Amino acid sequence: MTTKLKEVDVVIVGLGWTGGILAKELTEAGLKVVALERGSMRTSENDYALPNIRDELRYVVRHDLMQNTARDTITVRNNPQQDALPMRRLGSFLPGEVVGGSAVHWSGHTWRWTDMEFKVRSNYEERYGKKFIPEDMTIQDWGITYTELEPYYDKFEYTAAVSGKAGNLGGTIQQGGNPFEAPRAREYPLPPLTPILASEMFSDAARNAGYHPFPRPSANASQSYTNPDGSKFGACQYCGYCQRFGCEANAKGSPHMTVIPIAMARPNFELRTNSWVTKVLKDSDGKRVTGVTYTNILDGEEFEQPASIVLLCAYAINNVHLMLLSGIGTPYDPVSQKGVIGKNYCYQTGASATLFFEGKYFNPFMNAGGSNDTIDDFNANWAFDRTPHEFVGGYVVAGGFNTPLPIGYRPVPSGTPQWGSDWKRATAKWYQTAMVINASGSVMANRYNCFDLDPTYRNAFGLPLMRMTFDYKANEHKMGVHAAATINTIAKSMNPTKLNPASARTDPWTVVPYQSTHNTGGTIMGTNSRDSAVNKYLQSWDCHNLFVVGANVFPHNSAYNPTGPVGALAYWTADAIKNRYLKNPGPLVQA
Amino acid sequence: MIVRPIVTTALLALALVKVARADGDAVRGEVRFQECAACHKLGAGANEVGPSLHGIFSRKAGELPDFRYSPAMKRSGVGWTPETLDKYIADPQAFIPANRMPYAGLSNASDRADLIAYLQKATQ
Repeated sequence: MTTKLKEVDVVIVGLGWTGGILAKELTEAGLKVVALERGSMRTSENDYALPNIRDELRYVVRHDLMQNTARDTITVRNNPQQDALPMRRLGSFLPGEVVGGSAVHWSGHTWRWTDMEFKVRSNYEERYGKKFIPEDMTIQDWGITYTELEPYYDKFEYTAAVSGKAGNLGGTIQQGGNPFEAPRAREYPLPPLTPILASEMFSDAARNAGYHPFPRPSANASQSYTNPDGSKFGACQYCGYCQRFGCEANAKGSPHMTVIPIAMARPNFELRTNSWVTKVLKDSDGKRVTGVTYTNILDGEEFEQPASIVLLCAYAINNVHLMLLSGIGTPYDPVSQKGVIGKNYCYQTGASATLFFEGKYFNPFMNAGGSNDTIDDFNANWAFDRTPHEFVGGYVVAGGFNTPLPIGYRPVPSGTPQWGSDWKRATAKWYQTAMVINASGSVMANRYNCFDLDPTYRNAFGLPLMRMTFDYKANEHKMGVHAAATINTIAKSMNPTKLNPASARTDPWTVVPYQSTHNTGGTIMGTNSRDSAVNKYLQSWDCHNLFVVGANVFPHNSAYNPTGPVGALAYWTADAIKNRYLKNPGPLVQA
Repeated sequence: MIVRPIVTTALLALALVKVARADGDAVRGEVRFQECAACHKLGAGANEVGPSLHGIFSRKAGELPDFRYSPAMKRSGVGWTPETLDKYIADPQAFIPANRMPYAGLSNASDRADLIAYLQKATQ
């Protein structure tokens, strides 16, 4: 028995960064907006204040802010020849499940992806020739340009209190910033965070090696700050509890303390928590959507919420799942390579070294989410010649710390026993004296890395789980070899007492341990309906009043963290809806 | 009619204190308060990450019934005056060890004087 509710202008599915931004922008335009969030209400004052937030067991081991896999999860396999099995416990990535979404427990790293990504196929074909791109690498241009997105990156950085140093102001390279970034109109809203010893040592070594280190831009407020909407930020206290935790000092840019309370203060906004959307409803001719059905997970009651516009703003993976469950667009088939929904799932790769310095004290318990100096010489640096290395994409290398957990972070030199007295002695000796250098690398789309509905397993609502087919390909292995060599060269130049060197990953991808909550693709954006699910405004090619917002629209994944373009695209979509779609509802780009 | 003389007396007392701390500039202090405003509100009962600062100079530390203070704050026995608040803001962990305010302190004495001058006006 489904209760049909009164129609509203907009229904938003999921209230994290994208849903929060759209809720704020569209209520400002006077629309009646309802947000449906499957998680519960969380606020800084009730949930993230000291002392309760510093609970590694609750937030890291028991995933208090993340998706409950007993209710819904995905099945995983490495290739179409395998049978997929359900991921019964979170590991490799951690989708959020509270008001604020994953943007409560993120670290704040905020990058501007550039035309290097948005024109990836054209760029590589032009410089390296068509044959340089492997046949099964299904990368494509995004249909958007950096110039179009620049004002929206700016808006997001100023909303989220990003601390950093510009490397390119209007085309002029700036000392101390990332010289490989694309031109920005103005500086970051806040100066960089105070460097820590590990990031300074990394920067010195990287500079000596001829690279160009800079402080990582992060939404960790280096000073107290009031954003253009009037939201107040405290200064980051370098408490060491960033990734996987809400911020105890209101210093990490998150929607629950910026855009969401602004929307909630308006009479034309309503938030319904514990509301699990099970389907987007289409009208009889399939050209429009009419609303969504959802279940109140506290009592099992089912509702239909009609709406003139539906915005899918859930975690990237869950947006794709909803599209498949709702039968919108043609599901992708990796054999025939027909269809689009589920296509181009991408992830990230990496390599990491641990350096031990007798006599140094790194105080790993004190740092911000963004306490990582970084080099971009092998990523956004287009002058870096990929020809001899035969890979598409790139990687960034960083030295420093991000949330080395008091219990979980136990660096010991390789060869140390994994338990017993010798391990205890080693962990006591090396905890203070170790630092990490790691690389984060892009993953290019591959025809076999994709999503579809699992034929066997179902969730708590009786609906098919989504199936993820993913593995690293030769491109990532080659990049991993190059990244490990770069890390090890820098690391050795620092003369550590002991070094656990980086090595290229050769094993297949698995769901353990934690790797990165940077899952992209599945409902990709593009220039035409044959090879993409949404247009450049993130509007569905099939149903013009449906917008699918999030990293699920990225046609491939870069070395950078995804939240910069996720936030910018949310503002971009909000503008497209307010200024264009409302005046003339229909396709914003002709298919 | 009862309230009015009390307020007047309080203002007079604060005015005297302000004279004693002549360098405090409430206008500059309002800007300084941005460092606190992400967690502290000035309205009565407006407890957020930190307790409301309304009426702070007529309170003892840890006194608001509906805010969850640290045991250290409750036990401190500190009565808030411009002088004690100055010491606290200068180095919160040194003045009340183990309190839970996530703030490293405001080291510049004239910035603190400005902030306190502002709070004297704004917390009534």
